[in-house]
Amino acid sequence: MQTNGDEPLKVVPVRHFSRWLAAVVVGILVAMTAHTLVSRIPTGEQICRTVVDGAGHHVRRCHEALQWRFSWDVVGRYLADFNIIKGLGMTLVLTVLTMVIGITLGALVAIMRLSSSRLLSGPAWLFTWFFRGTPVYVQLLFWFNIAAIFPTLDIGIPFGPAVWHIDAVNLFTPFTAALVALGLNEGAYMSEIVRGGIVAVDEGQVEAANSLGLTRFQTLKLVVLPQAMRVIIPPTGNEVISMLKTSSLASAVAVVEVLKAAQNIYSATYEVIPLLIVASLWYLLVTTILSIGQYYVERHFSKGSLRTVPLTPRQRLARDIQGVAGKFRTQRGVRV
Amino acid sequence: MSQPMIEASGVRKSFGALEVLRGVDLVVNRGDVACLIGPSGSGKSTFLRCINHLEQHDAGRLTVDGQLVGYEQRGTALYELNDRQICAERSQIGMVFQRFNLFAHLTALENVTLGPINVRGETPTSARERAMELLRSVGLADKAQNYPSQLSGGQQQRVAIARALAMEPKLMLFDEPTSALDPELVGEVLDAMKQLALNGMTMVVVTHEMGFAREVANQLFFLDEGVVQESGHPRDVLVNPKTDRLSNFLSKVL
Ligand SMILES: Nc1ncnc2c1ncn2[C@@H]1O[C@H](COP(=O)(O)OP(=O)(O)O)[C@@H](O)[C@H]1O
Ligand SMILES: [Mg+2]
Repeated sequence: MQTNGDEPLKVVPVRHFSRWLAAVVVGILVAMTAHTLVSRIPTGEQICRTVVDGAGHHVRRCHEALQWRFSWDVVGRYLADFNIIKGLGMTLVLTVLTMVIGITLGALVAIMRLSSSRLLSGPAWLFTWFFRGTPVYVQLLFWFNIAAIFPTLDIGIPFGPAVWHIDAVNLFTPFTAALVALGLNEGAYMSEIVRGGIVAVDEGQVEAANSLGLTRFQTLKLVVLPQAMRVIIPPTGNEVISMLKTSSLASAVAVVEVLKAAQNIYSATYEVIPLLIVASLWYLLVTTILSIGQYYVERHFSKGSLRTVPLTPRQRLARDIQGVAGKFRTQRGVRV
Repeated sequence: MSQPMIEASGVRKSFGALEVLRGVDLVVNRGDVACLIGPSGSGKSTFLRCINHLEQHDAGRLTVDGQLVGYEQRGTALYELNDRQICAERSQIGMVFQRFNLFAHLTALENVTLGPINVRGETPTSARERAMELLRSVGLADKAQNYPSQLSGGQQQRVAIARALAMEPKLMLFDEPTSALDPELVGEVLDAMKQLALNGMTMVVVTHEMGFAREVANQLFFLDEGVVQESGHPRDVLVNPKTDRLSNFLSKVL
């Protein structure tokens, strides 16, 4: 602390007027939003009842019926609806499977892309170029309709006799079409993410591994990829969360995921907004859970790159509480 | 006299149009400590990297322990070695880098055990035991569980030496092992290398530490313009340089 001779000087904190103003504006906006969320609107119907007034006459008293602007009662009714939950299951399955395909394919394409052989890096570049360059929605429709140009699919010797053949119509169900379309598209994005991670690893690491006699594959597996993970994980977390929502496109090819399930209900009941809210609430919940998971995975892979591993939110809370308690105690003159 | 550890004759290497090595000739015998000195960009690192095939030389003959580096001679034809054979050759040559290059995601101990477990097929238990022994010998037993980012430069370089030694190499290559260190940390690394030399390890050291060269080395090679300009015992070469190039160079580094 600064002192003026023996006297300690008084510290006057900086006043942040603009910060206060901003807080007031934001506060008002939050209050307005909250008010809208819980507001009620007239249904257009009258609720009437007959009452006896002071003079003993029977009088009809009417008032307008009100309902939640956002039909929370309807939202509550459908939130745990069997078909919605089933749709949610499909959304999760689609997300997990397409991400597995995307990450595997992405890693493969990234490694090919970094190969010194043009025969490998060329096609890898082409793959990424194509699948990133066209809308995923178009790709989805494409795979859904592929049976039209490949009525049958033969598996056998290339350009030679077929060993096994299947009808494409049977192979490309809405589900597989969605899986292939979303998986390939994700593979293109993941390949760029994985490549970025690999390139970020210092070349010296590879040389050190080589000088120990590790094979190329061992070097990749034991030295490069674990370090690339630190760079790969955060954007991959974003990709998972993004895929969770992109999978709703599959509703366009009649895969009954959570959005399609909601649509199926509102096409019969016309309760469009409440059911869209139901679907949104589920997306929000899963996204929240995924974000928490992402935090811990990132923390795990930051090992070695940071001098100290960041605290978990729980540890941070514990530290803050202790800190406050400590201050409190010292203020009351108790030594800690 | 037994077979030399390293024998180079007419070793050439170009990067595109830039010819870095223009016919390097040198012999390093078993148990020798050879220092390689020369101005920056003279090809010292490149030559060192050719020895364990991190770079492939274009022409000339380069053998380690009687074996051609990167090739196998059968009759009059040279057959390029495959990946696995090159890895096997490399695993017997230790290398220590200017920038340490410790594996950043592994603890000091794991850095030392990675090679023994994955290349030599040792069990984790015995690899760990030997690794602890090696870390103790470079004075870092208490840092075994630290990650590289938690170690000083000198400590990292000593771990790197332990990591190379864990492969029980027959030859150790050092590429300016103390150049990236703060001056007060140079001594601890040189001490570890001195100890290694006393134990009879064959070493090739690229260095600007003339004190180390004079005290520990028994062979000195002065590389300039891609060829060995002068060689001999450091006592003779450093005291009586025969070429102007070397006396110029020495006047700058001494
Ligand atoms: N991989 C490479 N590609 C192109 N040029 C290189 C490469 N490695 C080294 N060189 C060049 O070769 C020359 C010698 O480099 P190097 O062997 O590192 O020199 P020194 O270690 O003696 O300072 C330098 O001019 C350097 O730029
Ligand atoms: Mg160099």
